[in-house]
Amino acid sequence: MALLATLLALRKDARILKIPPYLSAFLILVGVAWLLVLPLNEYSRGTYVSENALLPGQVHTYFTGSEHDVFRAYRHEVAGLVDLPVQQRTDKLSELLRASNLKVATQKYTYTPSGRNISDENVYAILQGPRADATEAIVLMASLKTMDGEHNYSGVALVLALARYFKRWSLWSKDIIFLLSGDSTSGPQAWVDAYHDAHDPTTIESLSIKSGALQGAVGVEYPAGPWGHRYDKLHIVYDGTNGQLPNLDLFNTAVNIASGQMGIACTLQRMWFHRNSYQERLQTMLRGMLSQGLGHATGPHSAFIPYHVDAITLVTVGDGWHDEMGLGRTVESLFRSLNNLLEHLHQSFFFYLLLEAKRFVSIGTYLPSAMLIAANFSIMAIALWVQSGRPQEPIPNPAATKPASKPATQDASKDSDNKEKEPEQEDEKKPLESPPVVVTKDGATAVIPAALLQVSERPLFLPAAFVVIAHFLGLIPLAAFNHIPVDDLRPAFLLASNLTTLLPLATAYLLSRFNRPTPQESTLIHCFSLLFLGMYLSALATLNFSQSLMVGLLTAPLSFVRRSSGVGAKLQFALLAAINPVMVVHAATYVGKIELLDVLVKAAEGWHIWGMWTQVVVWLVWWPAWFCGSVVVALGLF
Amino acid sequence: MAPDSTHKAALFAALFAAAAALRLLLFQAFPLLPHRLAGRVELSTPVSSFKRLQEGLYLYTHNVDPYHGGVYHQAPLLLPLFSFLPDASSSPFATNLLFTVVDLLSAHALAQIADSGHAAATRLFKSSRQGLRWSSAAIVAGFLFNPFTLATCMARSTTTLTNLFILTAMAKACQGASTTFLLALSAASYLAMHPILLFPPLLVLLYDARADRSKTTPNALAFTAVHTLGLTVISGTLLLASALLTDSWDFLGATYGVRLLLPDLTPNVGLWWYFFTEMFDSFRDFFLGVFWLHVASYTPGLTIRLRTQPLFVATTLTGIFAIFTPYPSVADAALYLSLVPLFRHLFPLMRYTFLASAAVLYASFLGPAFYHLWVYAGSGNANFFYAITLVWSLGLSIIVGDSLFAALRDELDVQRPELRDKEVKRI
Repeated sequence: MALLATLLALRKDARILKIPPYLSAFLILVGVAWLLVLPLNEYSRGTYVSENALLPGQVHTYFTGSEHDVFRAYRHEVAGLVDLPVQQRTDKLSELLRASNLKVATQKYTYTPSGRNISDENVYAILQGPRADATEAIVLMASLKTMDGEHNYSGVALVLALARYFKRWSLWSKDIIFLLSGDSTSGPQAWVDAYHDAHDPTTIESLSIKSGALQGAVGVEYPAGPWGHRYDKLHIVYDGTNGQLPNLDLFNTAVNIASGQMGIACTLQRMWFHRNSYQERLQTMLRGMLSQGLGHATGPHSAFIPYHVDAITLVTVGDGWHDEMGLGRTVESLFRSLNNLLEHLHQSFFFYLLLEAKRFVSIGTYLPSAMLIAANFSIMAIALWVQSGRPQEPIPNPAATKPASKPATQDASKDSDNKEKEPEQEDEKKPLESPPVVVTKDGATAVIPAALLQVSERPLFLPAAFVVIAHFLGLIPLAAFNHIPVDDLRPAFLLASNLTTLLPLATAYLLSRFNRPTPQESTLIHCFSLLFLGMYLSALATLNFSQSLMVGLLTAPLSFVRRSSGVGAKLQFALLAAINPVMVVHAATYVGKIELLDVLVKAAEGWHIWGMWTQVVVWLVWWPAWFCGSVVVALGLF
Repeated sequence: MAPDSTHKAALFAALFAAAAALRLLLFQAFPLLPHRLAGRVELSTPVSSFKRLQEGLYLYTHNVDPYHGGVYHQAPLLLPLFSFLPDASSSPFATNLLFTVVDLLSAHALAQIADSGHAAATRLFKSSRQGLRWSSAAIVAGFLFNPFTLATCMARSTTTLTNLFILTAMAKACQGASTTFLLALSAASYLAMHPILLFPPLLVLLYDARADRSKTTPNALAFTAVHTLGLTVISGTLLLASALLTDSWDFLGATYGVRLLLPDLTPNVGLWWYFFTEMFDSFRDFFLGVFWLHVASYTPGLTIRLRTQPLFVATTLTGIFAIFTPYPSVADAALYLSLVPLFRHLFPLMRYTFLASAAVLYASFLGPAFYHLWVYAGSGNANFFYAITLVWSLGLSIIVGDSLFAALRDELDVQRPELRDKEVKRI
């Protein structure tokens, strides 16, 4: 009881309001420091295969010898057909698959994001597992173009060769689907959407033959030309759309087979040389987080993951001594492992950050960092709420010997002002001038200014409406950037950069003409916007940890800006102008040496084809928070 | 007076038109949205889902007992009502219009409740802060444009009908109109069963309103007896009509039986489903009894303690229903949250408004996210969603508890004016 009383007494202490900014800054620092310790051995774990049915690398592989000749023949066939028109290419590929005694079907698709026309055709074949009952299937796929835009000659040839080879085995207890898609992201997306009947039948053809529930998918990218090319390492790509990841067991199985059974080193996140030092682990992790946070499709496998189908892509990199048969045997062994599965992959982790091929951090270890950063906004929101309930006038020190130095004339004019505009505020003001309260407790007597005990009524309507409208405003650029034709995207983006920078100033100017919002209302606008931001980011942290962390860090200054006047306001506004989402995108393309137009085109493509949500987060979470914060700061300028 | 009332009428007309336009626009602009929302467990429970209603309707129009499928658990009289409308899957406009109109009628009833002024000043109790109130237009706008109400309307959950009848019963009780009150309350109880628990406080409200109007106090015992008899007769008639419609009394088990015995453990925002999935079968009956007893026990307790503020009791009970009934949904919370603004005079006394609203807000965002992780992404599990329903219920119960505290404090301020604005301590 005594503790409770102390806490209640503390609640009234003005000093308590001084703590939250420091606490918030502390949380952000801890959140960032948390990330930095993750690569240490103490905080990460070695990977292990959890699902005991997988038995990676326990089977002997037979994809050798004369299969090599078959593969080379296919590679020449593929080299001859990559430049053919789509229809002829499809016919040729269908013929090749049909020659292996497989059921073949095709699927045409057309997408038109930002006025571009993406149309192509998928060819796929189903191997009916001799021991299967068509309830489960696994997918092996290669697209004609790799993610980097090269011709995927050897990848497609490998799928054709493996299709022919797999057909001869009697041990498959799941159907195997071989998918040869037109391009690396929209082709598999069209196919997997249609497989689950989630497509738009007017532009995407429905699938004429299907098998059972997909249990896993493996993509192959091996862009070696008709005369072959020996590679050094396998690059395993695992990020799905919106930062969803495949079950860690699938990744582990691939690494285990490639490096353990075949002796091919594995690498990830484009870290071609990884000596397993702290810096390289950290770099790998940060690259993984960046890729996850952007939420874009990183390969043909990305389309599968939102459908709860675990998928990875194997990409060959570098110059070395491994040949195509090694990759073929890796895929063979991987499929033998997947063939063993008794149920959907579920044992291992779905949320992880990989530090290198055999080391990871699990969600329990890393989630606190994003949550701490999201919590900083909630704490500041609470602090601002409490602050907005405090009396707005400075409280004279009751123990001061000098009378409070308040010029009477100024006070009077202010009062008359208020009387003219808001007569209802008069009622709230009165208690402020009431005599000090005398509290007697346990024999001790204290004189407390009445104002300290007063909780002033908060005007909620304007702040709430303002924050809600700010969120709805975000819909305009969201819709615009997803629908503007490709030629106008760059000018539109430049227009958006100017408009978004000027909009807070214009809004603040307009609002200040009406003498609204009052300082209390602007505190509440700030409070609500941070409350929403904290809420979105904590929800987002569970769906896409990296995105939440990135947005959280980029919006962190919003916790600390305040409505002030003079130089302070100008400096704060300049800082906020620099972290305008549009400016951040601009700066990121400059630093990353990426073409801005590519980013915009990919974003629109992501929205229309992949079902990517990153724009929604940018325009409906990040931008409104920035806008509200900027308006609050800009109010100090007028 | 006249220009004022025309001004008010115009304001209401504009509000209603805007609300109707918004709903119809949403229905029209996003034809897939109602279907999407109807599939959300937060909005559609086994006893209110529009999809299940369509299933029942299909069986009914094909002359099969609608309850044989084991999917439909709603009242039988809904079937002839909806079978008059064109098929909702091919031409949904009439159905959409019906649900829009239901929302507008609910708003109208809410406006009547607000206008009656029973929230702050009843026959036996005048709050010391009764001047502090929002206009009925503001309260109605808060109901019509509440995202929870909107989502419920878009999901076409039949709880909107129950809410309409509850609000009408409250409005009629405030006006002292016995017959319509009994009809509305019987309809609400017929549709959802638990609104019957609102009968005691609303009867007190009706009694007060009557006494106010006629300036004499009717005999309490006779008043109670007559109205209880009336309620029994009307409810009995509704049940009999249902039995005649379906040719058997089997519907009782399929509708009220499901609500009482909880055979369908589809997740919802309430607290029961997870608990009963974990329950050993031998204890099931015992805990069903305890849980129901718990819900029912609030009615007599609150009615007796806050006898002078019956409308507040009824409102608090709708909040209790939104937390503790077996199949609550966001629609129940929407009803409660729309009624709370009637008690604007209590807001200065409430202490955890920020905490409660933040909890409700966070839960309404994290709930769908965790449900997605559990059911669609497959990377979470049932505990994720259940944890969030706990937060949701916590938020609502903070509002219920805090407003109860405020009501009692308000009462104390009237009884002991010298204690006003003093810190109170729990003893």
